[in-house]
Amino acid sequence: MAVKKWKLKKGANCYNCGDATIHDIEVDEFDIKIRCRDCGFSRYYSFHMVDLPRKCDVD
Amino acid sequence: MNALADAGITGFYILEYKGMSPQDWKGFSIKEDPKSAIGLIKDYATDAVLVCSVVDEEKTDEIVESVMQALEGEKYTILEVPIRRIIVSHSDYEKERVETWLLEKEVPCFYCGENSVQRIRIDTSKAKIWCTNCGAARYYLIKGVEKEGR
Repeated sequence: MAVKKWKLKKGANCYNCGDATIHDIEVDEFDIKIRCRDCGFSRYYSFHMVDLPRKCDVD
Repeated sequence: MNALADAGITGFYILEYKGMSPQDWKGFSIKEDPKSAIGLIKDYATDAVLVCSVVDEEKTDEIVESVMQALEGEKYTILEVPIRRIIVSHSDYEKERVETWLLEKEVPCFYCGENSVQRIRIDTSKAKIWCTNCGAARYYLIKGVEKEGR
């Protein structure tokens, strides 16, 4: 199933400027991007692996 | 937990374990080897929970009373132990805690398709997104940073 891009917000101290600011977080199947609204510092994460539970055969 | 919180505790930790009461143990004689001891615990010991909390001495009676009311009819033991000294170090833990973010989003899961809460945990080097319904998890690793991203 394709995953739509999620747009989230998180108030936190910026890793770069240290201020308590809003961070915009974009999540999709392949990447996560986090950007501080104040200083623009961004972090990028890329997909690494997936861990899926075993589907029940009884269904 | 509700009774403890109502009575005024601010924090606690819980240990799940298996235990046997002296009356259950009485009369047993087992071989002195780890396999026999572990086998006995698996077969005869009952599940138990140890709840620990440090509280002000003045609050003790009120807390004990609340717990006894909440656990009426249950089997329990309350131990009241004086604390002589507490040393807490926050150095690395505080840093780690501040740098780990937890978020949630309720959307259909990419795997089970159920509309359920997807939890997102992000720290400085990695991120994990997992479905609270089926447990399917996606892992991400830091790829890079951009200082002037305006």
